[in-house]
Amino acid sequence: MSIEDPGKSPRREFLKQAAALAGAAAVAGTVAAVESRAAGAPAETAPFEGYEFFGPDEAAFVEALVNVMCPADQYTPNGVDCGLATFFDRQLGGAFGQGKGRYLRGPWNQGPPEMGLQSPLTPAQFFKVGLNAANEVSMQRHSKPFEQLSPAQANLLLHDIQDEHVNTDSVSLGSWFNSLVYPLFVQACFSDPMYGGNYNKVFWKMLGYPGLPATHALDMVQYRGKPYPQAGNPKSILDFS
Amino acid sequence: MAKTLPKRSVVIVGGGLTAGLVARQLTAQNIDVLVLERGVDHRHGAESRLPTQRDELRWSTRQGLMQDWSVQPYSLRHNRRDPSYPIRWMSAFLPGEGMGGAANHWNGQSWRWSEYDPAIRTRYESRYGKAFIPANMPLRDWGVSYAQMEPYHDLFEKLFGVAGQAGNLRGTIQPGGNPFEGPRSNEYPQKPLEITEAGSIFKSAAQSLGFKPFPGPAANSTGAYTNPDGQKLGQCQYCGHCERFICEAQAKGTPEVLLYPMLLQRKSFEIRLRAHVLGVNYDAQAKRATGVRYVDLVTGKEYVQPADVVVLGAFTMTNTRLLLLDGIGKPYDPGTQTGVVGRNFCYQTLSGVDVFFKDRWINPFLASGGTTTVIDEFNNDNFDHSGLGFLGGGSIGASVTNGRPIASRAVPAGTPRWGTEWKAANAAWYAHAFNVWAQGSCYPDRENFLDLDHAYTDAYGQPLLRMTFDFRDNEVKMSHWVTQKIGAIAKAMRPDIMGSVEGLKPSFDTRVYQTTHVTGGTPMGADPAHSVVSPHLQHWDAQNLFVVGASVYPHNSGFNPTGPLAALALRLGDDLISYAKRPRML
Repeated sequence: MSIEDPGKSPRREFLKQAAALAGAAAVAGTVAAVESRAAGAPAETAPFEGYEFFGPDEAAFVEALVNVMCPADQYTPNGVDCGLATFFDRQLGGAFGQGKGRYLRGPWNQGPPEMGLQSPLTPAQFFKVGLNAANEVSMQRHSKPFEQLSPAQANLLLHDIQDEHVNTDSVSLGSWFNSLVYPLFVQACFSDPMYGGNYNKVFWKMLGYPGLPATHALDMVQYRGKPYPQAGNPKSILDFS
Repeated sequence: MAKTLPKRSVVIVGGGLTAGLVARQLTAQNIDVLVLERGVDHRHGAESRLPTQRDELRWSTRQGLMQDWSVQPYSLRHNRRDPSYPIRWMSAFLPGEGMGGAANHWNGQSWRWSEYDPAIRTRYESRYGKAFIPANMPLRDWGVSYAQMEPYHDLFEKLFGVAGQAGNLRGTIQPGGNPFEGPRSNEYPQKPLEITEAGSIFKSAAQSLGFKPFPGPAANSTGAYTNPDGQKLGQCQYCGHCERFICEAQAKGTPEVLLYPMLLQRKSFEIRLRAHVLGVNYDAQAKRATGVRYVDLVTGKEYVQPADVVVLGAFTMTNTRLLLLDGIGKPYDPGTQTGVVGRNFCYQTLSGVDVFFKDRWINPFLASGGTTTVIDEFNNDNFDHSGLGFLGGGSIGASVTNGRPIASRAVPAGTPRWGTEWKAANAAWYAHAFNVWAQGSCYPDRENFLDLDHAYTDAYGQPLLRMTFDFRDNEVKMSHWVTQKIGAIAKAMRPDIMGSVEGLKPSFDTRVYQTTHVTGGTPMGADPAHSVVSPHLQHWDAQNLFVVGASVYPHNSGFNPTGPLAALALRLGDDLISYAKRPRML
């Protein structure tokens, strides 16, 4: 038994205090997300290790986002408990977020979608611009920031954004969601858990993907056309490190 | 001021597959070879070791082995009248970087093309008449015959331990192989790979319709293998981390396993890594290349490297760009139909149909890059094109090459993109689906070409290479027709769910991976008015300058392009031995 009450994480307490002091609506969602995770969550949930990129408002948005896109159900815990928000944070705070490998020289002109994104923003900058714009739309529609919407409201808004039914003057939210947010969501679910998402290989188990190291020369013959016995017990890079 | 280095005999730009093969021939005769490669030696990095090799996010999604787009991207416009845009993160095709080039991360599919491919214009004209090839399609013969290339195909297959089933052994059609194959002097050096469950289902359906399926040839090693140079391959483990990855088991035929370690032992061979070539020094008066200019990426210093012979052995795009940057050969002008550099730029025309089987275990993770099952009945001119309104065709096959879960999860149309229903569909179909595909040809069009884009510059201040490309009418019609054939085979499999049966439509989409098989730009041929290099790959305007790789293809066929370019590279090596003894137009 640890000295600290595991139900009282310092971060949660801090956020509660912050909310009480400032009356800040923005952090309320984060508190709710953290509360819901701590209360009665199964043991197999991602430990919270802090955000290196998101501020509290951004974290609240992203936690709400991944919990809408990945609700707790018979397949996986909710998105936060699967580590998906942590994956977003690490990727956007790291080389990917800073635009590694992306050509970022002008001139800048908007082209047809097949040309890919033509924006001087890095993925991290673009993420924030879109996040703010999505929150604005949420405020216009419901007078609430995104993280305070009901799951049904949030889901509907994301669908409208995906289908390019909502746009603001400053940013194409459809392109923000489809070219940046959605790929990050998929990567968070299915990449190796060492990146912070796919906690406990839960999405690999859901698929029946056995992971590594995959020396399948014999399996190839033995399990051709048959269920693969190790599919429910995948191994990741950490398991071999 | 760039420092001028001592002169070398043969300097090759780009340290990939073709450079390795050319150097193999030359250094065996003790001819001095220097290769300049801008990337690194990957053999001891995280990309070549377990467990870090098995990282889909790092090597595949984030393109850890690929050309750095922040340094040098390409621009694109679909038509000559449109503005161009730099492709800031290219996903459609993936050139590699480092010793071994794109052939480190290929999946090993090692085709010989049809016997008539190098004489494609003659083939269509003799079968259908002179007027059959449309005026906007500059389909040209290569000036080299399959028979001349055959010994080099044979050698390449032995060097790379290619696994396959012969279909045509010295003119006799072999059961189980490709009956449309050109005559082979020998069997494949290794027996075919194990068939996948997807391949088995495809095979039965194709046979039920009267087609002749066969295992696609692959440089994935069926067993432990030692090549004629004494270089070794391990046994393929069907790990599903082949294309886009380096094979840590050394079971994939790649230059960094089979060529460069051997070449590095030879006294007449040198490779300079982190050497980024900026241009070819060209003496227009004398019609000679005098050497190349490059930046040492470690020190940032610029050098001039004089050479007796310069070989451009970089990726398709770079070969073309280097000629354009230094004004070697006349740039192609689509308006006047004159000039040559940049013409006959082709891609490939891919389409496919997803099939889903509730009760069949496809297990997509049990796969190698080359485990394909294929039919050739509808490829190129293997069928009668009379009245069809298009030329070309495609190989049709089924394969799973991996079950890597970020990218390889087919779900039925109409599945939501997130939420519980999305999870349910992924859980239900991940192990039970595959794609029946066509790898379609792409014949040249007058309006598809490469030139320089002066609106955008790379990290060295040089103009980008601009693609003017789209799938034109011929390819769209062909793809529609071939995809109907896929649909018929897919239907014969009686899947529980079948995806839509639609051919490829414009416009070319850089956001979606299709194939890395871009070709042309420096086409070979017997006529200097329509080609950049001769049938011996010798530049018409610089006798000591040679170009090798898919950039010399005048058209793209319905096969992976590696086989013929490897054969041409080995042949070039032999030609250069002769040239070194007596420099001349070959």
